[in-house]
Amino acid sequence: MTLETLKPYLPWITLFVLAGIVGAANPAFFNPVGLVALVADITPLFIMALGMTFAIYIGGIDLSVQQMANLVTVIATVYLAQFGIGVAFVCVIVGFLFGAISGFITTRLYVPSFVSTLAMGFVALSGAKFLSGERALSMDATLRDQSFGWMFGNTAGVPHELIIAGVLLFIAWFLQKRTTFGRALKAVGSGELAAVASGLNVDRIKILAFAISGMFAAIAGLMFSVKLSGGDANLANGFLLLAIVAVLVGGTPLTGGVGGVVNTVIGTLIVVVIRAGMVYLEIDATQQQMVFGIVLIAAIALTIDRSKLRGVVK
Amino acid sequence: MADTMANATPAARFLTRDRIIKWAPLLVLGVLILLFPFFEWLEDIRAGEAHAYLIDSRFFSIRNAARIGIAAAPALMVAVGVTFIIIMGSIDLSMEGTVSVCAVIFAFAFLAWSGTVLSWAWLAIPAAMLVGAAMGFINGLVHVKLKIPSFMASLAMGFVGTGLALLLTGGDRTRVEDPIFRSLLTERWLNFPVMVYVAFAFLLIAWFIQSRTTLGRNFYAVGGGEELAHASGLNVERVRLMGFTLAGVFFAVGALLAVGRIGIAETATGNNFMFVSITAVVVGGTALWGGIGGVWNTLVGVLIVSVINNGMVVIGLPAYVQDAVLGILVILAVVLSTDRRSVSFVK
Repeated sequence: MTLETLKPYLPWITLFVLAGIVGAANPAFFNPVGLVALVADITPLFIMALGMTFAIYIGGIDLSVQQMANLVTVIATVYLAQFGIGVAFVCVIVGFLFGAISGFITTRLYVPSFVSTLAMGFVALSGAKFLSGERALSMDATLRDQSFGWMFGNTAGVPHELIIAGVLLFIAWFLQKRTTFGRALKAVGSGELAAVASGLNVDRIKILAFAISGMFAAIAGLMFSVKLSGGDANLANGFLLLAIVAVLVGGTPLTGGVGGVVNTVIGTLIVVVIRAGMVYLEIDATQQQMVFGIVLIAAIALTIDRSKLRGVVK
Repeated sequence: MADTMANATPAARFLTRDRIIKWAPLLVLGVLILLFPFFEWLEDIRAGEAHAYLIDSRFFSIRNAARIGIAAAPALMVAVGVTFIIIMGSIDLSMEGTVSVCAVIFAFAFLAWSGTVLSWAWLAIPAAMLVGAAMGFINGLVHVKLKIPSFMASLAMGFVGTGLALLLTGGDRTRVEDPIFRSLLTERWLNFPVMVYVAFAFLLIAWFIQSRTTLGRNFYAVGGGEELAHASGLNVERVRLMGFTLAGVFFAVGALLAVGRIGIAETATGNNFMFVSITAVVVGGTALWGGIGGVWNTLVGVLIVSVINNGMVVIGLPAYVQDAVLGILVILAVVLSTDRRSVSFVK
């Protein structure tokens, strides 16, 4: 058994080994109520990672997700009174459009996605600062509960966040596995030149992938905003690293083409376990970023498909 | 202009694509320097306090030039560092972490060794540069040896760096109040503070490395065509490693100037350096694909970015506009510097 044959199972193995270690150190970790709460808590990050999966699946990257979520927390807070639940629609549209513009800049203007999304992220940040007046805003509690109270709560012991995450996961999974668009995504991720040669409209597929990434980031921002009952141009800072980690640790390599949204579920769970482990092992919160940075490097190094880089790694 | 280009062949030959790309950044800088005083002039006329255009301008004055110089000096050092990487066709996004770590370690060492440049504490300056070199080297190792694309390797290393700085400081700020070190900002020669001259001196060193050393020529060779460079016997991996190490040293110099400017070292010292420096390099005319441009382009790019930031404040635009303007600027610069015939697809 070589590393190559082991590769598809590596995320699962990592998850169970890590969970085993943390559980052995602290048996209370396996308490179902605590576990469910831990997982529910990370839902906004999971949704963001779900969208990011599409950008990475086609071999790109979306560095704007964090700023996108920041912008949406502000939009949701500012326009909640005016639009009620309709603000969710506004947020999703804004996310979709921003992502589509990033995709357009990448495909039609030949700007590498890490630059185009980074730049669009700063445009979004600018918008967030403008709308919020560079202050931390808070939502009106009654309005929030009226419009978005359903997002949080329990039905038969299942937190609503998990149900929302499940629905979104199903949509993403359906898009990826059961539609022609999903097959086209795989074709683009596996080999863009071959996809072009076989007559696919690659530009349109890539633009859509970035738009989906932006849209999910917006949904994540909306949930986060409702959860914290407010909006601020820096509210979602710190999400970007974890979202990338969740996708890559799950087994969708930076080179795209394999993996997918189900892998991101595993990746997100690994992030949950690592976080919980750090709490139990009393590793200070200030060290988390360092730990996840190193985890990220390890994950990329293990998953990346070097045959696709054609010998040249820029 | 389109007419003259179509009709007159000498003009067409004069205005080649290469030449336009070469001189456009300088032209943009010149236009900006004339444009902001113009807006200021218009504003004053509307307010009924007309002043002589350029002569009595608040923007176009020595005092403001010094202000721009102070803002630009640390960013210039970071941008010069990343210029070498971009010439090689790679990218380095780790500067925020590296700058923070260098700033924090410098401050700790400086204060631990009695806190004045006149004692052994001056050793903290080369120590910080060594730390920068070490971080750049590790960054290069991760990129070259693990074969991870540089943008992702360096982004991850940047997160590690910021995390390390946070770990070292525990979120606290360290003040560096030694008057001799702070004379970087307070001491002025010909109206400009010392840090501007220091930055210029390091720019000259960078220029020397770029144009007069084998290493500098090798950066261009790798950026111009890696397979070709490899086939002609160049140890490409070594050149890349050296490039990232060198960039780390310049990030450290940027960190020192940043600490000299505000007198505080903290985790946030590195904030914003990534986007500003990448924007500056690209806007200055160094192509993201490698092989073209250099440190003088970066000087022009840093000045463009600093002039825009400063000018928008002078003419009274709110600060939040800057992020969006820089975002659009970097996209425009990459678009304009890309030769579409030679690029099949981008990721």
